[in-house]
Parts: sequence; C-alpha cells; structure tokens
Amino acid sequence: MQGPLIDTLARRGVTRRTFLKYCATLASMMALPPTAGRAMAEAMAAARRPSVIWLPFQECTGCTESITRSHSPTIEGMIFDMISLDYQETLMAAAGHQAEEARQNAMKDNAGKYLLIVDGSIPLGHDGAYSCIGGRSNVDMLKEAAAGAAAVIAVGSCASFGGIPKANPNPTGAVSVSDLVKDKPIVNIPGCPPIPVVMTGVLAHYLTFGSLPELDDKGRPKSFYGNTIHDRCYRRPFYDQGKFAKTFDDEGARQGWCLFELGCKGPVTHNACATVKWNGGTSWPVESGHGCLGCSEPDFWDGGSFYKALSAPADPLKFAAAAAVVGAGAGVAVSVANRVKKNTAKATHETTTLADLEK
Amino acid sequence: MSFDSIPIHVVPPGEPGLTGNAPPLLRELLEMVRRLLETGEPSAIDLSALPLTPADLDWLRDKLGTGEIGVTLQANGESTLNETACPGVWWVTHHNEQGAVTSQFIEVAFVPDLVKAHPRDVEIGSEYLELLVSDL
Repeated sequence: MQGPLIDTLARRGVTRRTFLKYCATLASMMALPPTAGRAMAEAMAAARRPSVIWLPFQECTGCTESITRSHSPTIEGMIFDMISLDYQETLMAAAGHQAEEARQNAMKDNAGKYLLIVDGSIPLGHDGAYSCIGGRSNVDMLKEAAAGAAAVIAVGSCASFGGIPKANPNPTGAVSVSDLVKDKPIVNIPGCPPIPVVMTGVLAHYLTFGSLPELDDKGRPKSFYGNTIHDRCYRRPFYDQGKFAKTFDDEGARQGWCLFELGCKGPVTHNACATVKWNGGTSWPVESGHGCLGCSEPDFWDGGSFYKALSAPADPLKFAAAAAVVGAGAGVAVSVANRVKKNTAKATHETTTLADLEK
Repeated sequence: MSFDSIPIHVVPPGEPGLTGNAPPLLRELLEMVRRLLETGEPSAIDLSALPLTPADLDWLRDKLGTGEIGVTLQANGESTLNETACPGVWWVTHHNEQGAVTSQFIEVAFVPDLVKAHPRDVEIGSEYLELLVSDL
C-alpha cells in the first residue's frame, strides 16, 4: 500500500484520466481556478500517504457512515483509503490494547505531522467520565493527540459545535473540539452528517497545497459553506414570487413551491447540499419535499421546532424586493429567540447527576 | 406502491432567460486565444462557477458553433471534449456515472490535457506491446 497515490489508484482500476477528470470537478466544487485541477491531480498523484488518526468521541457513527458508504466505490472512498488511517475504532481490524498501541505508535512516529480527525463532542461533566476509551476520558485523549498533530479536522456538527449531545440541557457537559484545542489549526466540517466530498476536498487541499483551505468565521471551508442553502436552492424563484407550500400535502407542496413557511432553515444555513446534493447527486432534503433542518449550524437542535417558520411571512411583493434582507434579519431573530429559549431551558432544568441517569 | 403514484410533481419555474452574463465571456475567450497563440499557455473558464442560466449556455454554445473534432472519454461516466468553430476553443462537459453533469469548462488549448496520453501510461502500453511481441 506504500508508494504514490496514482499507483494505488491504478491497481484499483482508476485510470489517470479518470483521476484528472475527478480533480477538475473537485477543483470546480471548491471554487478553485480551473488550472488548479491539474495541479491538484499532479500533487495528489505523487503524494505519499499522510498519517491520520481518527478519534471517535460522543457520536453516533453517522459521520463515518456518510463518508465510507457514500456510494459504491467512489474515488472519494478510495482517497479516503489512501490516507494511512492509523487509528479508527470502527474501521480498524485491531481491538483493545493492540488498537491503543497503534494509536500511540502513529503519534510517536509521525509527531507534528499527522492529521487528527475527530468526530463526536467531548463531555467534560464528571471529569469526562461520560465517554471513555480504554479507560481514558475523551478530553484526555484529545489533548494528548492534538499536541502532536499538524492540524485537527472536526467532522460533523458534534465535533464542530457540540451538536446533539450539547443540546439543552447538555447532561454530559459536552463541548466542541475548538472549545478545548486552542493552539492548532482546526477545520470544522459540520453537518449531521457532513457531505462526503467536503471531507475529500479538505484532504485534497492539504495534500496539494500543504495547507488548509480558507475558512469562514465558524471555521468552515468557505468553498463549501460560503453560501446558504437558500441562496443556491432551486426552489428559490418560488420564494421570490411569494409562492409557499402551507402544509406538506397542499397544492403548493405538490407544485414544488418554497418550504419556508413549513419551517425550512435554508435562509440561515450554510452548507453545500443544494449544489452537491446527496447519494451520488440523486437528491437532497428540499428536493424530496422537506425543509432544511439547519444541521450544519451551531445549536441547530435548540433552534425551536423544525416546522416553525423562521419569521412571519410578510406581503409576498415586499418579500421579493427584500428577500436577502429578510434572510439576514430572520437569522438574527432566530438567534435572539434561541438565546431566550436557552436561558429559560437552563433556568428550568436541574443539573443531571449520575444518580439521575441510573434511575 | 410505485413512485409514480405519489402525486408530487415539481414544476420548474418559467425558464429564466438571458442574463447578459454570456457575451463578456466571448471577450475573455478572445484574450485567452491570443495568449495561447503568443505564449502557448492554455487556459480555461469554469462554467459551473459563473451565474449562467441554461439559456445563457445555449446562447454561448450557439455562438461558438461546432468544430471538426469531438472526443468522448469513458472514465467514471462520460466526458465530451468538443472543438468549437474556433479552433483551439474546446467545450468540455463531464458527466458522472448516473449521467448528470458534474462540471463544465471552456478550455483554450491546442489539445486539451485530458486527451493527451501521459508518458507513464505510454510506458505501461509499451510493456504490454513487448509482451505481445515476445509471444509471437
């Protein structure tokens, strides 16, 4: 399995032209100049496999599923195979002490050079006792592994922002990777689960340019999280025309009108679902008739009902004129509403103790 | 129950017409062709990165016309590299295995890179030929 990536790909029946074509498309998706596709192909073809340590914490394995089972053998999957994945509990053959030894060896042999991927949030309650691997708490393992990493990639909303474990009342005291690691570059790839190609894109960028892609204020790659779902939604013209579905089976829903009034969080959600889509480009939530849940934004679980509209819809004509403004305004309104809600929730909830869990 | 019995039909909104974003691309192409002639440097325009409607793309395609050469590449889905009526300007469309367009470019080059055989691949080909010859 050693040697340049292109040789390994060739052994799996992926030709150079297939790879070149793939890189051209990947560069296009990452909003890189067209010539970057070729640079990317050349650099990646010659790249040696970087050591990657993947730590799963308080998570559901949905992120791993998203990436490893994205589609029957895609190049994405293969590139993922091409990294030297030295520790991944779900995928590795080793178990117990052997597995932990592999992790220790990888950290020692590649000190300062390995990529650390984290999925899942990190519980801090009861000294991190809520989630342990091999008798060690997640927070302890994260700090140790991050110390020798070149960069940390937080995969999924839990690792990026705390996700569902952090939802009110956050019984385990869950926090995100960036809450704990302050001295390393961190890329957040949120989503529940995240889109597989974003993961490949970040790896490809790292292999090609030796650096991480440009990030937004929430640590997300701008090329994939630069636009809102609403900005790129194919149903956007209906929003502009003031045509909304009012229930899930009315005439508007059948006509494929905008799902804003049914609680779609597209206007305040930054992700690439509308352009990249899911299941090999088959469809995505809005195309299948359900509004966006906003899963790639912080605290999406506490944002009120998934089926409550972001704000009361105004006169359709005014909407068309001020669509962008309304979108931004709705975002502010939601975050204020969230804060109020969160404070109320905090006030009414008592701290959960170990004894409570055992009841 | 088949999917056909689900009474949801997405009706696409009226086809948006020309946005006026396509004509400036012709000027850009002219610059690119001049650069190719002067320095031999190839370049490309990523069409999926620009706000172009299907009508804009049709307009552009129609203006550029059809040339003499069309190349079809079967690699993880079909790709077509068609020379336009302006030699050296190629319309490149990549499809995935499901037939959906994954990316679209206009390349300005004597021959697009994707068409050329890589020396390493030619080496592998020559090894195969040697094998054939040794079996004669």
